[in-house]
Amino acid sequence: MEPLRIGIAGAGAIAQRNAREAATSGAAKIVGVFDVNQKVARDMASALKAPFFSTYEDLLRSQEVEAVLLSTPHHLHRPQTVQAANAGKHVLVEKPMANNLEEAEEMIRACRENGVKLTVNYSFRYLPKIRKAKELIDAGLLGTITGIQIISHQFKDPGYWTGARSNSPDNWRASREKCGGGYLIMNVCHIIDYIYFLTGLKASRIYSEYGTLGSPAEVEDIISISYRLDNGAIGSISASSIMRGTEQSEERIWGTNGSLILNGEGISFYSTRPIDGKRPGQLYTLKKFPEFSWTAEWVRQFAAAVRKADGQPEVSSREGWENLAFIRSAYASLERGAPLEIPKFETVR
Amino acid sequence: MPTWLINLLGSIYSKLPVAIRPPLKRLFMWGLIRIQGLSSGRRVQHGKHVEFLDFEIAHLEPYEFLSPAPNEVQVRVARTTVSPGTERAVLCGLPGARRPFPYVPGYSAAGEVVAVGKNVKGIAVGDQVAGRVHHSSDETVPAALLFRVPPGVAPESASFIELGIITLQGIRKAKISAGDRVAVVGQGLIGQLANRLVRAVGASSVIAVAPSRRRAKTALAGAGADEFISLEKGNQVLDDIQADVVIEAVGTPDAVTTAMQCARDGGKVVLLGSSRGLSRDVDIWSTTQQRNLTIIGAHISAIPERDASLTRWSYRQEGKLFLDLLHAGRLQVADLITWHAAPNECNAVFEVLAKGGADQVAISFNWQAAR
Repeated sequence: MEPLRIGIAGAGAIAQRNAREAATSGAAKIVGVFDVNQKVARDMASALKAPFFSTYEDLLRSQEVEAVLLSTPHHLHRPQTVQAANAGKHVLVEKPMANNLEEAEEMIRACRENGVKLTVNYSFRYLPKIRKAKELIDAGLLGTITGIQIISHQFKDPGYWTGARSNSPDNWRASREKCGGGYLIMNVCHIIDYIYFLTGLKASRIYSEYGTLGSPAEVEDIISISYRLDNGAIGSISASSIMRGTEQSEERIWGTNGSLILNGEGISFYSTRPIDGKRPGQLYTLKKFPEFSWTAEWVRQFAAAVRKADGQPEVSSREGWENLAFIRSAYASLERGAPLEIPKFETVR
Repeated sequence: MPTWLINLLGSIYSKLPVAIRPPLKRLFMWGLIRIQGLSSGRRVQHGKHVEFLDFEIAHLEPYEFLSPAPNEVQVRVARTTVSPGTERAVLCGLPGARRPFPYVPGYSAAGEVVAVGKNVKGIAVGDQVAGRVHHSSDETVPAALLFRVPPGVAPESASFIELGIITLQGIRKAKISAGDRVAVVGQGLIGQLANRLVRAVGASSVIAVAPSRRRAKTALAGAGADEFISLEKGNQVLDDIQADVVIEAVGTPDAVTTAMQCARDGGKVVLLGSSRGLSRDVDIWSTTQQRNLTIIGAHISAIPERDASLTRWSYRQEGKLFLDLLHAGRLQVADLITWHAAPNECNAVFEVLAKGGADQVAISFNWQAAR
């Protein structure tokens, strides 16, 4: 397969990692780099042996560029995607897809009207651990899913919020307008994506409590969410970026026939069924997984979808929208002071 | 082992760390069976059997047993039939059925004798036998519990033996006379067997009663029921049945009330299903006393094993009758099998059973095919 020729927009830390992984995937070639911080962009371009562009418009005008990879602040996802689509370029956009559903819908429409493909960087679902969990669940580990619990706590220091720790210093992460929200839209969105991917379920009703209790930011640094899934199962999220010294990260999914735990140790599971060739009724832990670049896999499968006439990206724009629908409804529920029904993609015109 | 030794070992065991208990227990059992074997001159044999590891968890497990003691016979099992009521009750912890886990289910099987103890008479190596054997590939059992299978009766039919005996002893207690109108309430495996056996002993008409019409086709097939009545439109239809004898083959307190409603005034109701659970809101006056009903309890545990008075049939007599009916072609049961399961499918089999086993009538494990 001929490598997908990608132009990079954004040269921050994540952008550099994305570009490196894309290049080493073999399925892509970096053919241009742009960032408003020109020094950082120039350095990155020379490291990747790719041309530097001083404006985003110039990057889009390049005939070499087939697709753009946007690793830019969230509020730029919509305008940059629409511009790229209008220039006939495919789009790989960082998560979250956008800051609100209207922006996401405009992106979907622009790509559809210009006949280009769009994917969102929910590449954690390509983590070997997540792939293995998917295999176990598809084999019937859980039966009918009844509960989901997500726990995610970190400590983000002041340098995170001011941009002092970044090679492209900017305080956009602290801004509600630019970032769209805090720890939920920035980090937990990944977990929501792979929980949706693993279970095949979507949340239908949601209520949250959140606040900014320990960070120099406008956006939330602690959040608690209750939600109902479309099969009737009940879920919760407890997350914050202000838990010092006792960071915690664990997801549990359970059902009528078993339970699964994902955490730093690996996967633990228990089932009434013989899953993975194991005797039922016991708790097992899988700790070793093969080395694997999940970002490279995300780029590889998108490149394959572009090369195939009717190919559809595995991480679809619909899923990006559905993820955002969960997040926006969670935020809106606190503002309204009531649980909210989460909008369904089918209602989007 | 003497009780004091069991108590001593138990108290030591309960003080050990939880993590090392299972391997230690395995090691102890491994040693114990070898000591027993050496002291009695019997060899350790290997087989596989179904175990209920915990509520709603079944699994095929390897196990060890000893070659036959003087009164025992070793059977290479061909078929075992699932007894849905009892096995589901234990698996799901239904009222009155609590057993310690792991629990080895199954008590209705057929196979071939591969070794006999030195005191066994009337059964020889190579004989086809049927009787109370667990869901296992191979097992040593007391010879007195086994029946020789007449030639021409296939193992899949012979393995219904215990279910046949359960049903026969219940029907017998109803003392059905020629011309009696008999209703069978419940159309699971026992109900289906009852349809056929009631006819074989002389009832003039057999009415099958069930909540839905799902099992109507099976019930009406062959020499089964004449009529099928479902309760989909309510229980009023039961008043018109007016049966002389009602066989209750469900095993819930509610079904007992349903069964009483099917009887004519002065009729008999035989409680064949194991009615686990409590019933508090029964109006005994209007349902039973005023209507002069006779209620007959008919659990298999009340049947004598061997000796019997002139008026009471024994376990052995019922078993022989069941096999003779099969041999004579007066009874068919193999067509009731809806799932010929491989032993390693037992996880799925018992998961289906735990959920109520709705689409199944008889489930038969085929141990021969797994060899």
